[in-house]
Amino acid sequence: MRVQLFATCLVDSLFPGVGEAVVAVLRACEVQVAFPLDQTCCGQPAFNAGDWGSSRKMARQTIEVLEATQDPVVIPSGSCAHMVRHGYLQLFADEPAWLARADQLASRTYELSQFLVDILGVQAWAGVPGGTCAYHPSCHLLRGMGIESQPLQLLESIPEMQVTRLEPDCCGFGGVFSVDQPELSSAMLARKLQAVHASQAARVIGCDVSCLMHIEGGLRKQGLDVRCAHLAQVLAGDGGGLR
Amino acid sequence: MSVSFHQSVRRALSNPVLQEALDNNAARRKAGARRANATLDDPVAVRQHARAIRQTVLDDWEPMLARFIGACQANRIVVLQASSAEQACAHVLEIARRHDVRLVAKAKSMVSEEIHLNPYLERAGLKVVETDLGEFIVQLRGEPPAHIITPALHLRRQEVGRTFAEHLGMPYTEDVSAMTDVARRTLRQVFLTADMGISGVNLATADTGTLCLVTNEGNGRMVTTLPPVHVALMGIERLVPTVEDLAVILQLLPRNATGQILTSYVTLIQGPGKLAIADGSQHRYLILVDNGRRAMHATPLAEGLMCIRCGACLNACPVFQELGGHAYGSPYPGPIGSIVSPGLFGVAAFGHLAKASTLCGACQEACPIGIDIPRMLLHVRHQHFSGGGGRRYLRVGLRLFGWGATRPSLFAAAQRMAALATSLLARGKNWLRWLPPPANAWTGSRHFPPIATRSLHRRWRETQGLARASTNGHPVDHAVLRPSDPEPAESPSPQDLCVQFTQALTAVSGEVIAVDPSQIFATLERLLPPDRGPGLYAGQAGAAPALVGELNRAGIEMLQGQWPAPSDSLNPERAAWGIVWAQAGLADSGTVVLPSSPVGTLTASLLPPTLAVILSQGDLHADFAAWLAAGGKAELKGSPMVVLVTGPSRTSDIEMTMTLGVHGPGRLIVLLTP
Repeated sequence: MRVQLFATCLVDSLFPGVGEAVVAVLRACEVQVAFPLDQTCCGQPAFNAGDWGSSRKMARQTIEVLEATQDPVVIPSGSCAHMVRHGYLQLFADEPAWLARADQLASRTYELSQFLVDILGVQAWAGVPGGTCAYHPSCHLLRGMGIESQPLQLLESIPEMQVTRLEPDCCGFGGVFSVDQPELSSAMLARKLQAVHASQAARVIGCDVSCLMHIEGGLRKQGLDVRCAHLAQVLAGDGGGLR
Repeated sequence: MSVSFHQSVRRALSNPVLQEALDNNAARRKAGARRANATLDDPVAVRQHARAIRQTVLDDWEPMLARFIGACQANRIVVLQASSAEQACAHVLEIARRHDVRLVAKAKSMVSEEIHLNPYLERAGLKVVETDLGEFIVQLRGEPPAHIITPALHLRRQEVGRTFAEHLGMPYTEDVSAMTDVARRTLRQVFLTADMGISGVNLATADTGTLCLVTNEGNGRMVTTLPPVHVALMGIERLVPTVEDLAVILQLLPRNATGQILTSYVTLIQGPGKLAIADGSQHRYLILVDNGRRAMHATPLAEGLMCIRCGACLNACPVFQELGGHAYGSPYPGPIGSIVSPGLFGVAAFGHLAKASTLCGACQEACPIGIDIPRMLLHVRHQHFSGGGGRRYLRVGLRLFGWGATRPSLFAAAQRMAALATSLLARGKNWLRWLPPPANAWTGSRHFPPIATRSLHRRWRETQGLARASTNGHPVDHAVLRPSDPEPAESPSPQDLCVQFTQALTAVSGEVIAVDPSQIFATLERLLPPDRGPGLYAGQAGAAPALVGELNRAGIEMLQGQWPAPSDSLNPERAAWGIVWAQAGLADSGTVVLPSSPVGTLTASLLPPTLAVILSQGDLHADFAAWLAAGGKAELKGSPMVVLVTGPSRTSDIEMTMTLGVHGPGRLIVLLTP
């Protein structure tokens, strides 16, 4: 099995360690990973902020880059996978040629945990440290992509891993929302941090580094030593935080 | 607009009373809806059915509207159309002038808020009294409603107590039932003396021309029954094709609005009352309000017109939970309001509301119609941005980012520069504690990771494709660890409709007593206190003559023929209790079906504080749809008004504290006869 990794701009720029973990996990499943080097950003921040002109440019570039092969595309982010699978269809609704290309790409695009469980058929995972963790069901992963059982199944299968599922309440990140509406964003984050604290978990695990960056940024600001990690980092045996 | 929105945000966040009230609202309403939806055999199928029904309205709108108007006119309802808010208000005033109206009793109506009806009528010299308890409270305070279902959501009992002390001349109290009682007595006089009632319409059916009102307190019944003139205001999208379709939507509206299987009252109006007695207002007008709806139908926001106004998306929204309704500055707040407000009133004025969302999708998940609110929020944002909206630095930043991101080598260079800059700002720390404006909007409550000095791109290039990336972790081939889902519990479908009816009604504080027909009077005697005061009953002519004789001998008089009643004992307003015969019962919700009648069933069942309903077991049906199929639809067509009564009158408008007996009876006893 061969795949193309679309790492996302946040992983590339802020959390390259997460990208390395994704590659390691896929290789452990005997998947050959290609990393198309002209990839940058899928265009989601601009799409969500209403700047569809800029977003279309980034989306077209992403489609072109990922048309290099017809291999499945794996994205370690529920949010960016949701953008490629669903957002592009709205973005190009009035451009039939691009819509067809977007549709074709969408049909072979998967979020990482979805790819591992639903496509590769991975049932369980072993060989990595356990511990207590709180699983954060990120909104676009859960409601946009309909993915929850897959990451939970992988996490819960790890020997000695104790998983608490946090309520599916938004952490308040929301991309540009976090700086456009900082007070609202912070109030929502405060609730999430309370839930993390109540779980008494040592780590918060999720499938979106954007939300995890938001939550860990809040934890650090409050001087708490709970850290966040991407699911791929857990599966890769990395016991630390996001970076 | 946007500046004042940010001020509203800050005001809401710094108001601890509001925050507590909003937390309570979200917790109670979400749990209530979850419980109520779980009572459906197949909630997903019902939702899909309801969505398909609302979709047909969008697809077949104008013909359906024409059929509906024809049906209403056949029912002798005067139908007026209003293309604008101004025209709708003018229609109402004209009707008021025609009937020499001075006092207006008003039930809750979102459309009336939308068209700013009250100030319009007040400027013309009319007195308009809001009669929904929550609306009454906010009207006394000169505020707009804070929630489409719970208007006084933002107030604590202390504030309501002070408002009542100031405006109603009662001593200050924090006792919710005492406050409710004063409101009951104050508003009862309004109902009895109002020249005109105004209501909204929750849903209307194109086949029978039925106007459906879904209420709990009983004020909606009062304003459509007692005043001689009733004006209903309705947005032109609140249609369903048939009364059977209405039955489907009614399975979802109360469940998702208030967590009820059915509200205390569902009023189904087919026309004006026929008699001088109060079996419904004698003049009925329907004003169909466009006010931007047809224009919205032609845009990508059309799906927003499928909303049934249950408010579930408000209760589910994490942003609404922080803000409450007032901050939105529109009669339609919350997620659906951020679609409907710009859809009806323009993106220029309300487009900024769409940015008050993380696109988390909780609204769509909660919506019983499955309206794709996130998709439309994105569309509004696009329009708002295209019109020059948004913060300048974000507009420039997004364009710049887009420009750079489509040039991979430039993007890589920018990453390196940003890494250098942020490493200087980090001063050796892992994460940045401070960023310069405008990025301090982030660091006010969060640390930020510095840009990586070696991006994933660079690592890939420098290490021959991450050749050494490895893990001891590995997939396990064997052992499916996931426990299989538990067997779905066999939902008991009690053959005995009586059992189901009794359980459902007692669950909503109603009483059910199985009684032999010969024992009805004895049972009533036992139940009602000896000092019960005058009573009345709405007897069916020729029905149960023995019982009628017993009632008459006990000094209980029959309401018949006149309204207002000539003597005190016959005046339902003075009567301590009412007795009526039900036409049918609905087992799933514990509902009795009461038709308007020449003997005043609707009045006798509404005004006295205690209500006894006689229901024959043979008239029990599984649910509303089953009753419709078993001849109920014909009954409905032949009756100017049919009311579905489910338990006592109730409200949770003050601090979400349940109080029984607001405007309608606080006690409901059903005598179930074989």
